[in-house]
Order: sequence, then C-alpha cells, then structure tokens
Amino acid sequence: MADYSIWVCEYSYVAKYHKSGVLYGAHNQGYVKLPYCYVVIKGRDHVAMVDVGYNDKAYGKVLGDRFGVENWRDPKVVLAEVGVAPDDVDTCFISHAHFDHFGNVEDFPKAKFYIQEREISKWVWAMSLPDRMRWMMVAVDPGDIVRGVGLAAEKRLVTVNGAMEDVLPGIDLHAAPDSHTWGSMWVTVRNDGQKQSQDTWVLAGDLVYQFSNISNSGAVVDVDTMYTPVGLAVGSQTNLILATEEMMSQVGYEARRVIPIHEEGLRDAFPSRITKDGLRVTEICLADGEKSMVA
Amino acid sequence: MTAVDLFMRLAQTHKPDCHMSLDGPPPETVPDPEEMARTLGSDVVGRYAAACRPVYEDLRRVIGQVSGLLILARLTSRTEIADLNEMQLCRARWREAAERLATLEAPTGLSQHKVQLTSAHHFSGEAMNAFAGLRSGVDNSTELDRMGIQIKRAYAHLEAASSSKAGLQMVDFTHACCSCAQQN
Repeated sequence: MADYSIWVCEYSYVAKYHKSGVLYGAHNQGYVKLPYCYVVIKGRDHVAMVDVGYNDKAYGKVLGDRFGVENWRDPKVVLAEVGVAPDDVDTCFISHAHFDHFGNVEDFPKAKFYIQEREISKWVWAMSLPDRMRWMMVAVDPGDIVRGVGLAAEKRLVTVNGAMEDVLPGIDLHAAPDSHTWGSMWVTVRNDGQKQSQDTWVLAGDLVYQFSNISNSGAVVDVDTMYTPVGLAVGSQTNLILATEEMMSQVGYEARRVIPIHEEGLRDAFPSRITKDGLRVTEICLADGEKSMVA
Repeated sequence: MTAVDLFMRLAQTHKPDCHMSLDGPPPETVPDPEEMARTLGSDVVGRYAAACRPVYEDLRRVIGQVSGLLILARLTSRTEIADLNEMQLCRARWREAAERLATLEAPTGLSQHKVQLTSAHHFSGEAMNAFAGLRSGVDNSTELDRMGIQIKRAYAHLEAASSSKAGLQMVDFTHACCSCAQQN
C-alpha cells in the first residue's frame, strides 16, 4: 500500500558544474551535470511540492549569461508532465531559502508554504553583519523574503521550529540547523502511513546534492564508502554529516531512499524519461491506483 | 513624491493592496549604467556605478532585513521588534545609505537611475520607521499591511535600478548552486 506518488521534476540545469561544489574537497576533479529540480508529491487528496525553483524573469538572463544555466521551463510546463498544474498545489515545503528553491512562490497561488523559522531569522541576522562578513548571505534574494511578507499576510506562510510530524498525513519535516544553510530541512514521507514505516522516502533538499554525498569512496580511510558532505555550507560540514546519518537511519540505511534533487544519476536508480523540452522526469514511487508518468 | 489623484489611480489601475497605489515615481526599468556607458563613455559611468554599489548594497540589506522582521511581526504579533539589535543596525545602514545618496552625483542620462535608488530608500525607510508605531495588545494588521506594500514598492524600485554588469544585483551567485562555468 502506498499513499503518495513522488516525482522529481527537472526544470533547468547546469551542464558543467565544478565537482568540488557537489562533493567537499573534490578539487581539480572536473565537472558534473547539475540538474535543477523540484519534487511533486501527490496523494491523500493533496498535491505537495518540495521547493518551487526560481523565476526566470528575475534571474534567467544573469544565470544564463554568466553561469551557464540552461533550459529553464515554467512550472506549468514542467508539472504538466506529471499531470498536475501549479493551481493544484496546496502545500510547498521549502527546504531552504536559496533563490533556486524559494524563488518562485508566485507561481503557486493556492499553496501554503512551510519553512524553518531559523532560515528566516538567521538570514535577517546575517544581513545585519558588516560587509566583510558578506559571504554568509550568498544565494538569497531579498525579493524572496519580500514575497514571504505577502505570504504571511495571506496566512500562507508557516514557520516551523524544528521537526513537525504529519504536516500532511504521513509526511514529516525535519530540521538540519546550521548545515547547508541556517535552517535547512528535509521532508520524510512515510508512504504506508505507519509510525514505524517500512516504506519511507527522504527528500533531502540540498543537504545531499548527489548520491556520492552518501556513498563516496572511503578508500582514504580504508573503508568501502563514507558520507562526504556537499561543498557549500554556511553552517558546517559536520552538521551535514549528522543530518545525513539521521536521514539514512530513517530509511533503514537504504541509500536509494534518500532522494537528492541535483542528481543526474536518479535515472539509474528509478524509472524516468526525457520530456520534449529535454528535461528529465523521474518516478520515485507510485500511489495505489496512480498511473505511471514515465512509461 | 509626486501626487496623483487617488481615486483615479485606484479606480483605473491598482487595488489598495498593490504597491503601485503608493504615491511617487513609478518603479520602472531605466537605462542602466552598462547601457549608458555606450553613449556617455565608460569612465564617467564607471565612476557613477562604483559610487552606486555601496548604496545599492545598503538598500538590498535594509529591504531584506525589514522584510524578515515584518514576517516575524506578522507571525508572532509581537511589537518589540523596534527594540531589537537587528533593527538598530538596520536603521544605521539606512542612515548610511541616506548620506551616500546625498553625495551621489548622477551624470546626465542616469538621473532616473538615481531616482529609483532614492525611491527605494524612501519606501524602505517608511516601512522601517513604522515598526515604532506598532502597539501591543491591539490588532496591527492594517499597519502591517501598509508596511508590506511599502517594502514591496522599495524592492520594485531597487530591482529597477539593478544592473548585473555594473555590479548591482540582488543575489550574490558566487557560491550558489550555479556558480560554475562563469562566462565573464
């Protein structure tokens, strides 16, 4: 029995991303493709998302011209590939406030947004620091916080302090403070609805960019594999490792159940297809009675 | 700020909760320094752009902070926000921006660019100063709504004054998920 279908929908990508950004310490090891994705969770009369991407009107030219980000597509186009529309989305879990995760709330006019309160409060604090400490406020657009003001006024913004169980039936939020960002979080789907679930999926946000963050070679310390954190942390790599351990423990250490969203290799672990726009849709699991969107 | 007939503006164009319902020059894209360099010469424009950067950064930060504090005020119904250390730092930065704006000389052709910065400063200040007027034990929704509109308007002006190549941009992408393969 499965309550929810889960799809990872690519909405843009960077063809050549430096590997050391993905994997801490992987300097001079070349480039990897970095897909930009969000996650759609459908079931129990809900359509939810983990993150909402960015708005190309605001950032597209800069990203395209300067950073090689390619092939951005509107959520209407991307979500249609899994049979839903932005208006159908009632719940959005924002894993963190970076522009490519929280930068397009306006395209989801009926959704309620969940974000860790620490993600906002610490960012306000970081904005108050002297210019010499400006590094701590990278990749966040004040405009997204401005739009958060509108969401709060409409009672569509929920700030979460730590973990939150059953936000939707069988879906929990978990905090990873001072890790990738000040208030990153991941989403856990207990797809059989049980407290002690045998069918758990973890949607990792940017706490894990790719599977290699979970199963990197451990040769250097004489073990088969070891966790290796992502390259960017305004908190600490230690906290990323601790979060990874907690995510892995939730899925009984079955690494394929921790879903990274910047991972091209999802295609090797799950059924997927390329859309007519050249973007990948990956089907993580299907709810009972749901038809495949990648067959 | 230019006065416009309120009835006409509301009736014809904007709902009361729209940031465009506020008086003042509209936020509109103006020739950015990069564009103007082609007609005015790069030196004079380059000097202007360099002088703009700290003002732009101050305003970007003030708008971000005020927005975050507004969310806090809305969600907690607490009114002591005006006393927070972050708010004092925000005020100090806003005053710094005022001093820098006062000495910022826009070359001919870029005066509208400076208007956008000045308007962003004005509206962010309106929102920031309004925190002191929030009262405990009463419903501050009307005031918070107004502050939300003001900060949205401030952001719209700053966005209009943005220019990636002049180093005036909202997001620092240097360590973002996309900060690779930098083209220039």
